Amino acid sequence: MLCELTYRCNLQCPYCYNPLNLGRLADELSRAEWLSAIDQALELGIVQFGFSGGEPTLRAADLVALVERATAGGAYTNLITQGTFLDDALLDQLLDAGLAHVQISIQAPETELAAAIAGTDVHERKIEVLRRTRERDVALTLNCVLHRLNHDTLPEILAFAEREGIRRLELANVQFYGWAYRNRAALMPTRAQVERGAELVAAAQARLAGAMEITYVLPDYFEELPKPCMHGWGQVALTVTPDGRVLPCPAATSITTLTFPNLRSSTLRDAWYSSDAFTRYRGTAWMPEPCRSCERKELDWGGCRCQAFLLTGDAAATDPACALSPRHDLVTAYRDAPAAEVLVPRRPDPALR
Amino acid sequence: MSAALYRLARGVRLRRQAGGEAMLLVPEGILSLNDTAAAALELADGSRDFETIVAALSKTFDASQSILSQDVRDLFEALVARGFVIP
Repeated sequence: MLCELTYRCNLQCPYCYNPLNLGRLADELSRAEWLSAIDQALELGIVQFGFSGGEPTLRAADLVALVERATAGGAYTNLITQGTFLDDALLDQLLDAGLAHVQISIQAPETELAAAIAGTDVHERKIEVLRRTRERDVALTLNCVLHRLNHDTLPEILAFAEREGIRRLELANVQFYGWAYRNRAALMPTRAQVERGAELVAAAQARLAGAMEITYVLPDYFEELPKPCMHGWGQVALTVTPDGRVLPCPAATSITTLTFPNLRSSTLRDAWYSSDAFTRYRGTAWMPEPCRSCERKELDWGGCRCQAFLLTGDAAATDPACALSPRHDLVTAYRDAPAAEVLVPRRPDPALR
Repeated sequence: MSAALYRLARGVRLRRQAGGEAMLLVPEGILSLNDTAAAALELADGSRDFETIVAALSKTFDASQSILSQDVRDLFEALVARGFVIP
């Protein structure tokens, strides 16, 4: 269960998957409401919790309380942060509460480019936090989202991670939802970048086997088969948004034709087992052709519903990332389009504050 | 295998469900464990080497020393490769 504690963030990364309207920023679940959500999740047998946002450490005291509650229930806790507020005092509190894993993101291997992407100069601060976290009794993953603007720095990112003694490195090619979808024309990597990246990572994986685990998440738009998004809609994962909506996938608010259950009016159990949003695309019965008769239908589950909706307007369509999709041309058209220069930074709409 | 002492890496946690079912909780993931694997990892607390762990298991499990030895070797190799167990 991914708990998005807030949409607030001091960075403005243009590849954020958060929704464009960023919800109504003040309408966040209270600590008591979150604690109830954790208790309900534990009752349902959930053993993995992620705390994300926005930037979850902007609700530091609440975050500590939630980590403590999940840990007391025997669950595992992951903090997904950009790190700028993760000082020693907060780390002490989180580790005392039982936090098991921290993922810290950087935007690039050097200050200038990182600041250009994040819209603010926090790179040095992040490196300092990364180094201090590395010395603590907690699993640490370094994450960098890759896109056209930073893809060519991959050798420096790998060298940086090795120099810093990072044991887990996640290199995720940007996936196009929310702000990233808005900015896809500027963020889409070139085919040469993607292929060169795969080569560099494969060489590093071989060389660093046993010392560093490197994950390279391929970009959907360059694959011929769709990703098994969320391992199937409503099958193993759920997300709770800052304002209490329960989603089968962190990007699901992209699908404007669905109404999502909210913890202010529904239990987590009902949301998972009975809501229209969770049951609509669960399993394989909803599938159209070519998925319905495809031998891979229980491997990739028809791909990504959000991507199908964003590209075709129909959330029940075969994911256009699949080469068998009748609308695969939508993906190849974006993939091969010339780059746009304009990036829209992730910022809340002042009218909704 | 050498006389390295085995332990779980930082942020790797062993959990037993009320029903006795065991799992290894790792960053953003869950590995289901069979009884032998769970028992071996319970013994991997940084105080025991490979032979000691196998010897302890052979008192509990009705399997030959050579089968247990191979099972635990495979388990540790896989988990060390992913950084979840530290020799």
